Amino acid sequence: MATNEKKKIPVKEELWATPTSPGEEPQLIGSKCPSCGEVYFPKMLKGWCVHCQQPGLEDIKLSRKGKIASFTVIMQPPAGGFYKGPVPYAYGWVDLPEEVRVETLFTGCDFEELKAGKDFTELEPGADVELVIEKVFDDDEGNEVMTHKFKPVKK
Amino acid sequence: MKSVKEMREVVIAGVGITKWGFYEDRDWYDFGSEAILNVLKDADMEWKDIQAAFHGNCYAGVGSGHQCVKEVGLTGIPVINVENACSSGTSALRLAYYLIGTEIYDVVLAFGTEKTWRGPIPSRAFRPWQLRLGWNFQPGNYANDSVEYMKATGATVEDFSRVTVKNRKNAALNPNARFQKPVTLEEVMNSRMVAYPLHLLHCCPLADGAAAVILCSKDKLRRKDKVITVAAAVLTSGVYGEQATPAASQKSLKFPPPMGLAELSAQQAYEIAGIGPEDIDVAQAYDTMTPSELWGVESLGFCKKGEAPHLLREGVFDINGKIPVNTDGGLMGRGHPMGATALGQVYEIVLQLRGEAGPRQVEGAKIGLAHAMGAGPNSSVTILKK
Repeated sequence: MATNEKKKIPVKEELWATPTSPGEEPQLIGSKCPSCGEVYFPKMLKGWCVHCQQPGLEDIKLSRKGKIASFTVIMQPPAGGFYKGPVPYAYGWVDLPEEVRVETLFTGCDFEELKAGKDFTELEPGADVELVIEKVFDDDEGNEVMTHKFKPVKK
Repeated sequence: MKSVKEMREVVIAGVGITKWGFYEDRDWYDFGSEAILNVLKDADMEWKDIQAAFHGNCYAGVGSGHQCVKEVGLTGIPVINVENACSSGTSALRLAYYLIGTEIYDVVLAFGTEKTWRGPIPSRAFRPWQLRLGWNFQPGNYANDSVEYMKATGATVEDFSRVTVKNRKNAALNPNARFQKPVTLEEVMNSRMVAYPLHLLHCCPLADGAAAVILCSKDKLRRKDKVITVAAAVLTSGVYGEQATPAASQKSLKFPPPMGLAELSAQQAYEIAGIGPEDIDVAQAYDTMTPSELWGVESLGFCKKGEAPHLLREGVFDINGKIPVNTDGGLMGRGHPMGATALGQVYEIVLQLRGEAGPRQVEGAKIGLAHAMGAGPNSSVTILKK
């Protein structure tokens, strides 16, 4: 029944553009400066370029594929109780072709070897990754909190 | 704008510290007032000599410095609280330095305190959505930097572990350090993974504690036997395009900064002091996570990027090495009371330059440097010379 369906709530508005027609995929929304060319993610809500200190940033949709710049795997819940997702979890930075570095969670990784004290090879700098929109956790009202994540592209 | 070099000379009148550790029955005003009494004794001064006080603290809240001062004396002097994350203490010192240098005051107290958490710091230097995504895990942000540093330089987790071994060995020679026992390389490597690739013993322990410094004009100095001059006290807060966690800015791929924040503060400090990194005899670097000591000493100009792990293995940063680093145990061994940490570094440099560092004394140390960073981001470099 539709009334039992969990509501999907983005962790932050305007992180990504939801597809409007079949065959489209979600894309992250960034800001681009028409003066200096700098690109930001997430988009700068005031439209202000911190690099050249000018107004007038424009929205751009960012490429869905990029390369891992760096990553970490967190082995215990962070302080404060804000994060209610699974542990371990991986996050880091992905470089996109628009020359912008995006901070992101990673998904599609197996942490069993790491938990067993073995070397971790699921993620590595330079590896190809692709955007997905996924749940982070269910909030206290039972809604699904959604966010952008990047997933290794299997070769 | 006048140049810092036009200011009159500012000297260290005295230093004070408390033993850092976990105290269930003591709070920041208790350590803070103890440190103030200690620094007054060291400086051979009385509370009525103090004309202004700057207090570094991160988490104690409203009027935290006043709570310490009211345990010592109420003379109507201005007390100003300075929150600048892990650089709070030297941010307070810098204000004292400028106000004496410009002849507004002659004798000013800078002190720092913290009653810390048990476990990871619940940093609020993040946006609410970033907190919900779990990005406020301090070792995690350093872990990302570490993976990038390893990729760029070939540094290994074992290199990070050697920093812990060195600093814990030094801490065992420092009665005020939280940790009094050395650790072996195996113990560090076998400690549990916290944030890949960092293990627990790559992450600095918190501690409760306080440190205090009185600065003055040369004519007000009481202890004239060992005169130590503030050669530079620099603070820089953020450069565009540098990856600065937590949450300050992302690395710009199009416009990377010509110089990182740490390099910028070091360069300014060397310029003001009229010296170079080769003149430094002893240094306190910012080892909040052990890899940050390695890229820290590179940023300070002691060696080129990527050379620090190799030099560490050679013993260059040992107490009897060419550039002794974190002779008091650093954050790793001494512990990290955020508001007090940077002044704890200054305390150690003063002991070293006075020749009062006991079993961890660096022979013939004449010029010392203390570098603290932290959320904001901030980078502070203090250079002292005798």
